[in-house]
Amino acid sequence: MTAMVTMHREAQVDGGQPNAVPPPKGKLRRESRGVRISSWIAVVVFGAFGLLPIYWLLVTSLTPDSQVFRYPPSFLPRSLTLDHYASLAENPDLFRYLVNSVIVSVITALASVIVSAYMAYSFSKFRYRGRRSLMYLVLASQMFPQALLLVTLYTVFSAYGLLNTYTALVLSFTTFTLPLCVWMLKGFFDTIPDELIEAARVDGASRMRTIHSIVLPLSAPGLVAAGLFAFVRGWNDFIFALTLAGPHKQTLPPGLVNTFVGEAQTSWPALMAASLVTSLPVVIAFIALQRYLVGGITAGAVKG
Amino acid sequence: MAVDVGVDTRPDADTRTDNERQRPRRLGDTAFALVLTLPGLALLCAVVLYPLITALVTAFFEQSLVFPGRTFVGFDNIRDVLTGNFGQTLRQTLVFTIGTTIAPFVVGFALALALNTRLRGRNLLRGVLLVPWLVPGVVVSFLWMWIFNANYGVANGVLEALGVIDDPQAWLAQPVTAMAAVIIAKTWASFPWMMVMLLAGLQTVPTELHEAAEVDGAGTIRRFFKVTLPHIKGIVGLVLLLEFIWNFQHFDIIYVLTGGGPAGMTQTFATRVYETAFKGFDLGHAGALGLLWMVLLLALVAVYVRFSERGEQR
Repeated sequence: MTAMVTMHREAQVDGGQPNAVPPPKGKLRRESRGVRISSWIAVVVFGAFGLLPIYWLLVTSLTPDSQVFRYPPSFLPRSLTLDHYASLAENPDLFRYLVNSVIVSVITALASVIVSAYMAYSFSKFRYRGRRSLMYLVLASQMFPQALLLVTLYTVFSAYGLLNTYTALVLSFTTFTLPLCVWMLKGFFDTIPDELIEAARVDGASRMRTIHSIVLPLSAPGLVAAGLFAFVRGWNDFIFALTLAGPHKQTLPPGLVNTFVGEAQTSWPALMAASLVTSLPVVIAFIALQRYLVGGITAGAVKG
Repeated sequence: MAVDVGVDTRPDADTRTDNERQRPRRLGDTAFALVLTLPGLALLCAVVLYPLITALVTAFFEQSLVFPGRTFVGFDNIRDVLTGNFGQTLRQTLVFTIGTTIAPFVVGFALALALNTRLRGRNLLRGVLLVPWLVPGVVVSFLWMWIFNANYGVANGVLEALGVIDDPQAWLAQPVTAMAAVIIAKTWASFPWMMVMLLAGLQTVPTELHEAAEVDGAGTIRRFFKVTLPHIKGIVGLVLLLEFIWNFQHFDIIYVLTGGGPAGMTQTFATRVYETAFKGFDLGHAGALGLLWMVLLLALVAVYVRFSERGEQR
C-alpha cells in the first residue's frame, strides 16, 4: 500500500510541473509510470487473492488422496488423477441432486421470464397511478431477509402440502428473481420505440398480440439474459432448498452439504471435484450471458 | 392499493375505441397494465409479504414449528431476546457486515482502477476475476473451509512458510480468526461485483475532463480526488449501501463455513433466526429476533429507496 502511495506522489510531481508539455493532441492518454506500476501491484496482489483459491480448488480435485492429506501442502501436485470425478458419477445421491438442480433451475428460468416480462412491460409502456409504488415494492422485496421469511414460509408450504416438492422451490426462486429480471427487461422494453407499438395497434393487433409478436421477439437477448440470471439464482440457492425440500427433492448445494459435511474425515478432493462440477454450469451460463448482454446493449444503442 | 382504473390520460384514447368495436369488453389500458403485473404481485404477496407479516406476528406468540396451536404472550419473546445475547448477535452482525462491505470495496476498487488503465491483458482479467462471484455460496464455503483446514490447510502452509505463524492454527475453531475467516471468504465472493460496478462507473468519466485537468497541472492523485471521485461518488455510495444491506442478512457462507461457531462467535441475525426456528423449533423467539432485525433493516432500506429515487430523478 505504501508503495502505491509513493508511486502516486512521484507521478504527481511529474505531472504537476507548470511547464510540463501537454500530451500531443489526438493521441490517446498514456498513463504515467507510477500509475502503471501501482496498477500492476494491485492486479498481482488482489488478482492472486481472487484466482489462487480457484487454482487450489482445481488442483485439490485432481490430486490423489495419498498426496492431499499431507502437511505442509505442495502447490504443484506430483501426480494428477481423475478418480475423484469418476467417483462422483458413481454416487446415485449426487446424480439425483444434479437432476433436481436442473429441473428446478430450468423451470425457474422459464417461469421467471414469463412473469417478469409481463410485469416489466406494464412498468415500461404504461403510466398509471400506483405504478411507482408497485415498482418500489418489487425492488424492496429483495431486501427482506430470507431466513426470516422461511420461518413462516415453511408453515405455509406445509399447510398446502408443498414441502418436498419442486413447486415450493420454483415459486420461491421465481419470486426472488423478480426484482432483477423485471428491472433488466424494463430496460430492454424502454428501448423499443412507442411508435412501433402504435403501428401494431393501427394494424389491428391486440395488446397481447403486440407483446407476443412485436415486443418479445425484439427483446430476445434480454429474455435470454433474464432467464440465465433466474437459472443461476435457482442453481446457486442454498437456504430454501435446504429448508423446504427433503433429501429426495434437494438441489446440489444442500445436497453437497448432506453428502460431504459432518463425516469424520471429509473427502476434500471429492468435495472439491463436486464443487467444481456444481460451479461449472453457472460459469458457462455467465459466459453466454455476457455475450447476450453486450449484444443487447449495443442493439439498444443502435435502435435508440 | 390506490390505483386509478378509469382515467386514461393518453391522447389517443378516443380513436382507439373505434378499432375495438368488435370487442366491447376490452379492458382500459390501466386495467390491462395492472393485469400484466398480477402474476408477479401474487408471487410477491404469497412468498414475501404474507410470510413476512406472519413471521413478525409470531413474535408475540409462543409457537412451535412442530406442534400446532399457539398462545399469545405479548412482549415476552421480545424481552427474552433483548435480555439474552442480543447485544452479542448485533455486534457480530455489524462486525461481519462492515468487514464484508469495506474489504470487497477496497479490493474491488483497486482492481477497477487498475483495470481501467491500458494494462495489458485487462480484458481477460476482467472476465476471469468474475468467477469467485459466480460460484455458489456453498462452494465458496467448502473452498475456504479446505483452505483454512487445521491439519492440511493451505493457509497454514503458506503462513508458516512465510514465518507469520509458528504452528498450524485451527482458524475456524478460534473466535477471532473464525470471524476473520468468514469475512475473508465473503470478501472473496463479493469483490468481483464491486469491481464490475466501479469499473462501469469509472468508464463514464469523460477523458476530456482528465485531459483538461492534466493541462491545468493536476497530478494523478489530485485528478483522482477532484475529477474521478466526484464523478463516481453516486455509484460508490450505491454499491456500499447495497452490499451493506445484503451482508446484513447474509446466510449461506456463515452457515456452512462455521455454522455460527465456535461457541456462537460467528452467529449473526440470519443464522440465529434460522437456528432458533429450524433447530430449536421455537417460532416465537425466532419471530421476535426477526422483528428487531427487520426494524434495523428497514431503516437501511429506507436509505436505499431515498438514494435510488434521487438517482432516478437525476
